[in-house]
Amino acid sequence: MKKLIFYILLIAGASIFLYPFIWMLTASLTPENQIGNLTFFPTKLTFSSYSQMLGKIPIGRAFVNSIIVSSAVTLGVLVFGSMVGYALSRLEFKGRNLIFYIIIFTMTLPFQITLIPQYIIMVKFGWVDTYWALIVPYLMNAFGIIMFRQYFKSISQDLIDAARLDGCGEIKIIFKILWPNSIPALVTIGIITFMASWNEVLWPLIVIRDSQLMTMPQLVTLFAVGGAAESQLGVKLAAATMLALPIVFAYLLFQRYFIQSMASTGLKE
Amino acid sequence: MKTKKLIPYFLVAPYIAHFLLFVAFPVVFSVILTFHQWNIISPMKYIGLANYTRLFQDKFFSQSLANTLIFLAIHIPLQIIIALLLAEALNQKIKFRGFFRAAFFLPVIVSGVVVTILWQQLYGFDTGLFNKILTALGLGRIGWLVDPSWAMPSIAIMATWKNVGLYIILFLVGLQTVPAHYYEAADLEGATHWQKFFRITLPMINPTIFMVVVLSTIGGFSLFIEPYVMTGGGPLNSTLSAVLYIYKQGFFYYHMGYSATLGLFFALLILSVVAIQKKFIEKDK
Amino acid sequence: MRKQLLIFSFSALIILLLLSCGTKSERKSNKILYWSSNNTQEIDFAAYIVNEWNKQNNPGKITFQPVPEGQSSEEIILAAVVGKTTPDVYSNMWQGDVEDYARAGVLVALDTLKGFLNFIYSRCDSASISEVTSPDGHIYQIPWKINPIMLMYNKHIVSGMGLKEPPANYGQFNFASEKFKEENIDSHGYVKRWFGYSEVLVTWWQRFFDFYPLYLAASNGAPLIKDYKAAFDNKYAVEVFSFLRNLYEHNYFAKERLSARQDVFLSDIIASRFTGPWEILHADKFKPQGFDYGFTHMPVPDEHKGPVYTYGDPKNIVMFKTCSNPQLAWDFIRFMIDKKNDLKLLELTNQLPRRKGLMSDPVFAEYFIKNPKMIEFAEQSEYVRGTDPYPNLTEVFDIISQEYEECVIYGKKSPEEAVHEAARQVNLLYIK
Repeated sequence: MKKLIFYILLIAGASIFLYPFIWMLTASLTPENQIGNLTFFPTKLTFSSYSQMLGKIPIGRAFVNSIIVSSAVTLGVLVFGSMVGYALSRLEFKGRNLIFYIIIFTMTLPFQITLIPQYIIMVKFGWVDTYWALIVPYLMNAFGIIMFRQYFKSISQDLIDAARLDGCGEIKIIFKILWPNSIPALVTIGIITFMASWNEVLWPLIVIRDSQLMTMPQLVTLFAVGGAAESQLGVKLAAATMLALPIVFAYLLFQRYFIQSMASTGLKE
Repeated sequence: MKTKKLIPYFLVAPYIAHFLLFVAFPVVFSVILTFHQWNIISPMKYIGLANYTRLFQDKFFSQSLANTLIFLAIHIPLQIIIALLLAEALNQKIKFRGFFRAAFFLPVIVSGVVVTILWQQLYGFDTGLFNKILTALGLGRIGWLVDPSWAMPSIAIMATWKNVGLYIILFLVGLQTVPAHYYEAADLEGATHWQKFFRITLPMINPTIFMVVVLSTIGGFSLFIEPYVMTGGGPLNSTLSAVLYIYKQGFFYYHMGYSATLGLFFALLILSVVAIQKKFIEKDK
Repeated sequence: MRKQLLIFSFSALIILLLLSCGTKSERKSNKILYWSSNNTQEIDFAAYIVNEWNKQNNPGKITFQPVPEGQSSEEIILAAVVGKTTPDVYSNMWQGDVEDYARAGVLVALDTLKGFLNFIYSRCDSASISEVTSPDGHIYQIPWKINPIMLMYNKHIVSGMGLKEPPANYGQFNFASEKFKEENIDSHGYVKRWFGYSEVLVTWWQRFFDFYPLYLAASNGAPLIKDYKAAFDNKYAVEVFSFLRNLYEHNYFAKERLSARQDVFLSDIIASRFTGPWEILHADKFKPQGFDYGFTHMPVPDEHKGPVYTYGDPKNIVMFKTCSNPQLAWDFIRFMIDKKNDLKLLELTNQLPRRKGLMSDPVFAEYFIKNPKMIEFAEQSEYVRGTDPYPNLTEVFDIISQEYEECVIYGKKSPEEAVHEAARQVNLLYIK
């Protein structure tokens, strides 16, 4: 009996979480004038919303931009994060503690305070409307560094010593020894960074004005807020669906890793 | 070898450079900017404390802070209750756990923009699904996004829907750390499910609950894209979040100095709130 | 190992150095770069103009590109000004932005160019010219085109209600709205269709489609700002606020944002709206069969006398100081706005050039025969206003919008209080 209640709860919950997405998908495929009546299945399927949307905004281009930016940021965070994490966890040098506290400090710093000056730096460097503006500020991530440091601490020192005896340089140690042994950390940090970068909207809204360089969420945001959709609802929903698809796709493939990653971040807090 | 000693410095050099450029300098510049008036195209003008006096008389800013409070007051309890309930359900011996978990987590990973566009339709006064359900049940319609008393709660509900999946998972992990023999001992004494829940589970997952509160608070302070897309800050500025207002001042009106002042104040506010919350947690331990 | 590190840090340094240099394009002195808006028809027009000019062996070559697509062209221009990558000539500048840029010192004072004043007085009427003259006496912009805001209405609905003409004043408008509401209210008291609609948006530019054109209509084109003070604290603004507030109070206008749905005018949910000639293209593209619509002037207070003014949404041409050959640029602009090319503008874009005598000049006659819906707009074009030549207009309209929301939409203030408070805040704005 108790189990039945829980099942009902779960099914109700799942429907509440899934139905809006299903509605969005089916509504984007219904003809414009029937969307108001739609509950579950459309009477007619059409791709007209999608073709209209594709003709109005460079969503393919935005998708590519997002891929480029998010991949570059993720790569940067993994590379630089492991470099600093390694130095902090395994090497002795003056100022090590100072840097550690600086990193903790940046984690607590709310972004609201650095927003405007960062924009001005982009202007002064001439990086407005370039990929640099989207990538460089995000190349270092305090959270990633801390996680790497944590993880590297748990790797056996013998492994590293053996590599040093073989004549390995520090860089080689990081990438040839530590990385292969830190797959969980790499996957966790990689997924979280990629997802956060992909979904970031505020910063692109500030530094990118040229629609050829906009990221996907940014483009869809402006599309929904601005007048380009010509108040055609299906078109807006089509754009939203397209925005959701890549991440949902990745999610369905790597579901376990997504959930594990997010769960472990909470634990580390 | 001398170089060996320098290696760590090479490794952290990029980080230091990045920190100076994107953290240290901006913080310093931000503070300096608060004493100036600047619209980006003209030279900066020194105006002393004028921005600060303006901030303390700014009814829009105080409203945005109040709005954030309302948001948190609804979002956090709602989140905790729903997440706990569903996590508890998932924790039972049930089938298809993977499916349910995946379903709950889906809104978390999808972009906030998608969720906002979607819910804007659901909240429609005439054609939205929620009001259709209400009318079908014989109840009156609600002006979800047009009634100033409902707008921010509506956004809070939407935000809960979007994020609760993450907290379900966190609670699930927390629930699974409660040692089984506590429950077994209670079973021997004939305790009901809810007695077990309130006497054993809740106290044991207190740390998780506090973590959820802190994370939700920080998230709530960053509220921007939802009001930006759904309501533009209205109606009657009831959904104007602090970040949205800071953005407006800086990038609609180009009052860079004033925007920086708002940002500085707000950042300090967040830090104090989080510090207080953390002290609370420490005390409890 | 040592070598690896050295190479690594050396290359990082090079990269950092390269990154810190922006790219700056070279500007030759006999070439003019012209930015048009990125509206498809305007791009066609720009291509045509530039081609004609370059064909005619004029000294100097013009290249053009549409302003990069982005959040809004205003933002793109601002970014260009900040990054010092402005074109020589830009033709889509909103009149309200010019004063801010003039004060920042990035625009050329056109009245100092040879032949400018003569030409401009022959093309435009004195009202438009005084509108674009800055407080410092110089002229930094050329009135180019306008899109007057008028009342668009569904002909079938209006005639179906027994009205011979669309409503011309507040009294008639309210009467029609009440009648329409009675026919379209359901058993629960919910109104399903409205006589009119104005987007319930607090954003500052939305006032160009409700408050501002109505104010200009009621006041015969009175200014909003004069001598750095609010000039709208008068009975006209109060009457406009009253009229609009009444519409929302009685649910003649929907309080909900109908634009989140599909086009409500074309789907008969609303019978009228305040809009401009660009609507013609959209309506003709999407309208259902048998749908018939027309345009008339904005409604005015019942006791109003004289012609009805409106907001013209003027877009003007400016020249940036980065231009190395202003006289050449002016020659090109003069070519672009001569009579023949103004006609071409009409034909290609359906937008009215801001010049006098559109309806009387035989050059344009054929166009209006072919496009009868534009005749209403052309007749209106004699009675349009743009914006006053003062800075910070965005904030002025935002202040008005805040009071508008409180009074008109939510009825929390009386129109007198709202207008008074808006004027007070605007005055504070200009003191700083």
